[in-house]
Amino acid sequence: MTEGKELTTWLDKVLTEIEGIEIRRKSSRRLRVDVAADALPALLELLRGRASYVHLSAISCVDWLDDGEFELVYHVWSYEMQSLVSAHTRIPREPGIYISVYDIYTPAAFFERDIHEMYGVFFEGSPDMSKFILTEWDGPPPMRKDFDSEAWVNDHFDWQNYNPEWLQEIIAQGGGIAVRPDEQRFSRKQ
Amino acid sequence: MRPENYEARRQPPSHEYELNIGPNHPGIEGNYAFKLRLHGDEVIEGRADAGYLHRGFEKLMEGRLWIQNLAITPRICVPDPVPMEISYCLAVEDLCGLEVPERAKWLRVMQAELSRLAAHLFTFGGHAATTGMYTPMFWGIADRDLILDLFEELCGGRVYHIYNIPGGVRRDMPPGFIERVSNTLDYLESRLPDYDDLMFKNRVFVKRARGIGVISQKHALDWAVTGPNLRATGLAFDVRRDDPYLVYDQIDFDVVTEDAGDAWARALVRRKELFQSIRIIRQVLAKLPEIPGPIRCPIPNPLAWNVPAGSTYVRMESSKGELAWYVVSNGGEKPYRTHVRGPSQMHAVQVLEKLAVGCRIEDVAQIMFSLDACPPEVDR
Repeated sequence: MTEGKELTTWLDKVLTEIEGIEIRRKSSRRLRVDVAADALPALLELLRGRASYVHLSAISCVDWLDDGEFELVYHVWSYEMQSLVSAHTRIPREPGIYISVYDIYTPAAFFERDIHEMYGVFFEGSPDMSKFILTEWDGPPPMRKDFDSEAWVNDHFDWQNYNPEWLQEIIAQGGGIAVRPDEQRFSRKQ
Repeated sequence: MRPENYEARRQPPSHEYELNIGPNHPGIEGNYAFKLRLHGDEVIEGRADAGYLHRGFEKLMEGRLWIQNLAITPRICVPDPVPMEISYCLAVEDLCGLEVPERAKWLRVMQAELSRLAAHLFTFGGHAATTGMYTPMFWGIADRDLILDLFEELCGGRVYHIYNIPGGVRRDMPPGFIERVSNTLDYLESRLPDYDDLMFKNRVFVKRARGIGVISQKHALDWAVTGPNLRATGLAFDVRRDDPYLVYDQIDFDVVTEDAGDAWARALVRRKELFQSIRIIRQVLAKLPEIPGPIRCPIPNPLAWNVPAGSTYVRMESSKGELAWYVVSNGGEKPYRTHVRGPSQMHAVQVLEKLAVGCRIEDVAQIMFSLDACPPEVDR
């Protein structure tokens, strides 16, 4: 694309309208943008409305437990400029409330619902925050880093006592199971 | 939804009723429920209900080594597993700055396109079956099996290959493999006119598929429709061409489009892509003997491999649309976070719920299959 450079400088100009923005170009088609949480909707509005980034590819959530923050990453793609902008923002882990971008990008509804279910982040203004995948789950949001799957299983389920007749015969002959599942540790934590 | 937890969502007036399609039904390649509210034969509202195939892969991957996760990735989408492995490997390679040898890239393209052929044949047959035509389904599954035979020869696995590792592929082709792939491609190409006669010249399919589940280009862009479903609305976009990865920029192929945006156009795009994939694999087969060299670059001890901290977003064109991975490393021996964006997450939920409204009950299964949604990808 011959006008690629012009377009890029124009995009930089649009982006610098946002205060406190940090732009990093990772490659010719990948741009990383770090922005404060209150400026993100304005940024997306600019990207969609004035810079042709009409395709919301995904919203990813990362739980930074040590920092006490959730990182939300909005990946938007422009069919015309053929580049992808990843907009990173951070929100405090408690109370974990953020604003929906459903009015800017329709597909956000699915991702926000998914993040709400898996991380417990509530998106104000999202059309549907009801359960989707974990319909019968009443525990804490499972994708959070402080959710320990193994501890949850040990607290809520019993190990099955597996002792069929054929196994008893083998044990009588001196054989048997080398490691019982209830003696086995699956993680390397301890 | 277990039966004991069922509650009618609202008390319907006498002329309306609710119907649960699924989780086992002919409209999709897995377990997925679709709850309908109907007025006579007409759908008033549809609600997608996923979760039957949720295995918590993203959480599992956080607890396993980078190399161990390779066994998990193909299971995210059963009918088209190869792009999952390749894109995860691309993400790890990007984080580590690994330089993949040329031969491995071409082998990956061959594998990805064979998988696309298999997935399209599967969908193609399934779509026909939803209109009551079972012959294309049997033919499609039988022809797909020939590709699975090739995979078995290449890497030992028929469905899940785990052929890729970060840095390249596990092993080279066995002797005589190029000829056998070539023979299979010749056979598949000779079958394409039969598929045309059987489906696209069949009055049943013409009447049933034309004008069903129409997506306009504007709506396709608003709802993040990707892949063959987007190309069926007339927009020539393909990640392989417009955001190239591997060696697709050195390969000659056409981005197939259709204008109608209905179930017919979507089936036709897939049918034409079958030929494009055959074209691509032929170019790869012609190129492979010229490219010597290693098939993977040296990597650190994979059991004690600390991937440098950082994050990356990798996109690929799978047979169903845009597939992307967001992978975060904090410098540890396990991924800090992996997020997979499957194309079906859009197609099977928001798009399907919108398309179903106003259609007739007998077309619901067809609309679902024409979108080529993959439930394990939605649930992960």
